[in-house]
Amino acid sequence: MIVELQSVWKAYGEGEARFWAIRDAGLMIQAGDFVSVVGPSGSGKSTLLHMLGCLDKPTKGTVLVDDESIDRLTDRQLSLIRRNRIGFVFQQYYLNECMTVLQNVLLPLELAKVKDRKKKAAEALASVGLGHKLKAYPSELSGGEQQRCAIARALANSPEIVLADEPTGCLDTETGEKIMDVLTDLNEQQEIGIVVVTHDEVVAACAREEIQVRDGRIS
Amino acid sequence: MVWIIVATAKKRKARLVMTVVGIAIGVATLFALLSLSAGIEGALDREIGGLGAQIILLPEGCPYELTLALMQGADTLEHIPEESLPRISEVDNVLSAVPAVVGRVKVNGQLASIYGTTEDVLRVKSWGIEEFRGAVVGSDVAEKLSLSRGQRITLDLYAQESLEVTKVLQATGGRDDTFVFVPLTAAQKVLGLGNSLSAVLVQVEEIDETTQTRYALGRMADIQAVPPSEVFDTLMGLFGSVKQTLILITGIAIVAGILTTMNTMTMAVHERKKDIGILRAVGSTQRDVFGLFVWESLLVSLAGGALGIALGYVASQFLPRTSGFGLQATPHFSLAYVGICVLVAVAVGIVSAIYPAMVAARTQPIKTLREL
Repeated sequence: MIVELQSVWKAYGEGEARFWAIRDAGLMIQAGDFVSVVGPSGSGKSTLLHMLGCLDKPTKGTVLVDDESIDRLTDRQLSLIRRNRIGFVFQQYYLNECMTVLQNVLLPLELAKVKDRKKKAAEALASVGLGHKLKAYPSELSGGEQQRCAIARALANSPEIVLADEPTGCLDTETGEKIMDVLTDLNEQQEIGIVVVTHDEVVAACAREEIQVRDGRIS
Repeated sequence: MVWIIVATAKKRKARLVMTVVGIAIGVATLFALLSLSAGIEGALDREIGGLGAQIILLPEGCPYELTLALMQGADTLEHIPEESLPRISEVDNVLSAVPAVVGRVKVNGQLASIYGTTEDVLRVKSWGIEEFRGAVVGSDVAEKLSLSRGQRITLDLYAQESLEVTKVLQATGGRDDTFVFVPLTAAQKVLGLGNSLSAVLVQVEEIDETTQTRYALGRMADIQAVPPSEVFDTLMGLFGSVKQTLILITGIAIVAGILTTMNTMTMAVHERKKDIGILRAVGSTQRDVFGLFVWESLLVSLAGGALGIALGYVASQFLPRTSGFGLQATPHFSLAYVGICVLVAVAVGIVSAIYPAMVAARTQPIKTLREL
């Protein structure tokens, strides 16, 4: 899988309040890459990640998924790309507190009516070291365990690329390192492409390639 | 799918319970209305059919009121003179003319309805006795007054009369259960009616010629001849208009149920915007999210429907059994009513879910993520 941004511009607001979050960005990510996106707050890192994940469309320029412009894809087709080929990890984990660890990972698979979904969810949890906490609730887990559960949810449907927005932002250094070990293993052993948005230079150093974003421009 | 709904429901148990109860009240009203009205229709049919006559002869006045008074055992102001009986019997095609006098008197000191008639009553009633003498007592009144065969009873109003209980009838579920059947002369004496009759029940020889016989009898002075089927149709028409009003009220309750569920579901969409945004971000399609909310609403409505049917069943056992016609109506239960109530619950679920489910499905994941 290859996701490519070609001269992408992204603006928010209208008229005088219009603000360019991304300016003329060009970037290519494919399975097997390990890229960190670093920059100050408000520099456009998350916007870049959202466009790579087919969550947002550019104001100008083109986003290509396997050489096909996402402008030509329907909402359903974009959803299916996110479901089957891209995994998302968020800083705040965003787990459903009413569901067990297994149910949280199972949820997107259930709605998608994926075959053997329970097995796939359990395997994804085992791969991040949570195979023994399937019946626990998020409130019973540490921050690191919750983030690993969120990673398992992103991995459940065997994505080709995982996009992680500040995955260690809410964790202490030691736990953050463990999370980065999980992402590094996924990249090295399963050749899953990883894009990590971070402020942390130590986290950024785990990646093979580092991209700096400042005032919406990639450098 | 069900486990998702059950798991997410934990967050808002109280509101969910209120929604289920709201739907249950509407469905319970519908179920009770259906079963009770069927019971009333059945009772009316049974009572009028149970008169055992093809033509009822009544004094001047409203025939429906007089027929109801006859069935309820209530005395009326107008009466048929007993001297008319031989002339009635002489009319062509009349097989038998059974005189009847009804009214409320004190039986062993307690108020009860008496039904005075002659031996001919055995032509229209299946009591399993060869001879009509003394007092034949309906099962309800026998229980109420602790009467048994061989016991003597005293009838008291304008005069006193003492009679032996010769038979306690088996329960029929109809008005016969509430009457003390006594010889005509005894009833006329106690009620102070002299030689007057409340009604005459006419059986015909040839059913096909009933209409002609009815008109021949109707030409007699101070008498009106009414076929029971006509009385039944008119009373059912009256009941039908009452039923329509009740159905309208039930409809309003069900619409209120739809709006309540719609409100709950719309609130749930706003409360779970974050969850929906994450779901959409991790690949759930608009259709997936739409389906989730429709299923949720459907399950809530089905739970409300099931509870409503149970409540409706219980309520119909405790609601007053007496209809506006003074008939004892036993609620009639049928799988068809359960089916109608389930269908209504399903319709409530689907209709009330469409708008909130559309709102949920249209959630833009990027907008949600930016707000997080």
